[in-house]
Amino acid sequence: MNLEFDLILESIPRMLTGIGVTLQLLVLAAVLGLVLGVILLLMRISGRRYLSFPAFIYAYFFRGTPILVQIFVIYHGFPQFEFIRDSVFWVILREPFSCATLALTLNSAAYVSEILRGGYLGVERGLHEAGMALGLKKHHRFFYVTTPIAIRLAIPAYSNEFISMLKATSLASTITLLDMTGVARTIVAQTFAPYEIFISTAVIYLVITTIFQRGFGMFEKRMSRYIRQ
Amino acid sequence: MVDLSGWWDDYFWGAITVLRVFGVSLILMVVFGLIGASAKLSKSRIAHKIAGAYTVAFRGTPELLVLLLFYYGSAVTLTGISKIFFPETQFVDIPPFWSGSLAIGMIVGSYATETFRGAFLGVDPGHVEAARALGISNVQTFFHVRIPQMWRLALPGFGNHMLSLMKDTALISIIGLEEILFVAEMATAVTFKPFLMYMIVALIYLSITTIITLVVMILEKYANRHLEGAR
Amino acid sequence: MTANNQEPIIILKDVCKSFGDFQALHNINLEVNKGERIVVCGPSGSGKSTMIRCINRLEEHDSGTIIVSGRKLTDTMKDIDAVRSEVGMVFQNFNLFPHLTVVKNLILALKLVRKMKKAQAHEIGMGFLKRVRIPEQADKYPSQLSGGQQQRVAIARALCMNPEVMLFDEPTSALDPEMISEVLDVMIDLANDGLTMICVTHEMGFARSVADSIVFMDHGEIVEMKPPKEFFENPESDRTKLFLSQILTH
Repeated sequence: MNLEFDLILESIPRMLTGIGVTLQLLVLAAVLGLVLGVILLLMRISGRRYLSFPAFIYAYFFRGTPILVQIFVIYHGFPQFEFIRDSVFWVILREPFSCATLALTLNSAAYVSEILRGGYLGVERGLHEAGMALGLKKHHRFFYVTTPIAIRLAIPAYSNEFISMLKATSLASTITLLDMTGVARTIVAQTFAPYEIFISTAVIYLVITTIFQRGFGMFEKRMSRYIRQ
Repeated sequence: MVDLSGWWDDYFWGAITVLRVFGVSLILMVVFGLIGASAKLSKSRIAHKIAGAYTVAFRGTPELLVLLLFYYGSAVTLTGISKIFFPETQFVDIPPFWSGSLAIGMIVGSYATETFRGAFLGVDPGHVEAARALGISNVQTFFHVRIPQMWRLALPGFGNHMLSLMKDTALISIIGLEEILFVAEMATAVTFKPFLMYMIVALIYLSITTIITLVVMILEKYANRHLEGAR
Repeated sequence: MTANNQEPIIILKDVCKSFGDFQALHNINLEVNKGERIVVCGPSGSGKSTMIRCINRLEEHDSGTIIVSGRKLTDTMKDIDAVRSEVGMVFQNFNLFPHLTVVKNLILALKLVRKMKKAQAHEIGMGFLKRVRIPEQADKYPSQLSGGQQQRVAIARALCMNPEVMLFDEPTSALDPEMISEVLDVMIDLANDGLTMICVTHEMGFARSVADSIVFMDHGEIVEMKPPKEFFENPESDRTKLFLSQILTH
């Protein structure tokens, strides 16, 4: 087995396009997923059943089913319905990129809401009580005491989720999207060189993962500067 | 639901395939996880490095990519070797079932390495010291003091790994395994109801993950029963 | 709405509280007047903490009446936060906000509840920080302070709100022995300045020198309530005698 390095070099331009698509998908889904995740969290901890129950069911569904299936339901499944094909959203829902983004967003929101919830539950009861004892109103306690601490607690879990999302973007290749994995598969199909191409693609993913992990690590350090080292 | 006429069977057998993959990869995951954990806990620096490389590589790479690499990589190699001896061979592969199970077993195994390692380190050293002070041997201490505590500590993480494993089985359909996602694709071509077909797949997965979650909850309650009375 | 000088500032009448099957408080009757210093003592599980936590409604009593500063504590209270801002509390575990500096801990409630401007709040905060003798720690984070210092900050934080009465829930129980006196000294100082306080504690020396009355609780009931001299020299109940013999012989 001789690895052909020229092959790798030739493929670099196409891989770069792939990286672009991957990162676009990742950032878009991460941001939208975070927003939706916060909304779901607020629903979940609102204390009102008509809000917390749907949020619970939502998270339950999206965390209990494979992302691939979710992607297929949206990309292959939605076109089944005439009302979707006729609607104004069809332009978006027809495209693999948007379907992939939508699926990743919905999936991520479910995990993010649970992660944030973990952060909130992790804030010591005593701190809530101190806030109460001082006469702080509920929304004040929420913004000034609970939330800053919950965010710091949630960072490690969130960074894991972010990396998971990076890896999940590769699934978009199954619906024809030319992200890094999609590009790799195309090249391999043409050249029959799975080792060279897939391994180098894997290395690129690893590099990107490491960069993001370092980034989150630094962010966490900054947020934790008040903790006794 | 009447629309499913005839497809129930296929879904059923597809689900059985999923469960078989789950079973095989579960065993592989435990094996790799334990090997990885012992490597990381051992005194050997080489073992540390290899285990470290293993966890970093498999945790930082998309599952799909690993799967494709294992399957097509082994196919290319095997086909190449086979052509040397039997020039007419077209294509030899390791069947998707096995290459797929190996792949996801190794992937989730890299996460399990951390869980098992954490569980080992989480055992109160005081308990171990007490046992040794009573004259109980190393081996006996391992089985009677360490393991009972370890499995209690590892359980939540292990439960999550099982869920990941279950959800990753869906990926193997991409390399041709005939399980439920594959069935849904075929069914769609005939019934033209992709949403329904894929939602069934989703619900089957949901039921299995629910069962796993419930089983883990029961096991956790059992494992922690001695802690319940504490105020 | 303030109580006139004749009315007790805190009234508990026939207060009962259960946690599931366990009854934590049985018919508690207590009155505290302005300027009084009450020390509550008793064995673990006697309901001491539960009782004072009912006073600022961190726990909700099941039956009976609690009146704080002329306001009755009920299920449907809309202004519970307002009542709480009049009652200061110091916790066993300090409960300082870890993500805020010392001075920010002190002025958070002043800004949010009393709606003060930052500069004015800062002045008040620093004033109380000097009162508890650690003004130099103002910009540090709680985790950088010793236990004794943290508890003093907690006391200052509660004082900033100018409460009518201060509740202390075992303020020195979580401290290393050498730091207990710095906190007790501050509390004695405050007592001498006329602060109304209810203090749950095991520190009998403190009780003897500061308290106007000592309340002994056991199994959720108030067994005895007497001025220190009588309490220590002439306890009525056998249970009190047993408790005193257990804690005073070491």
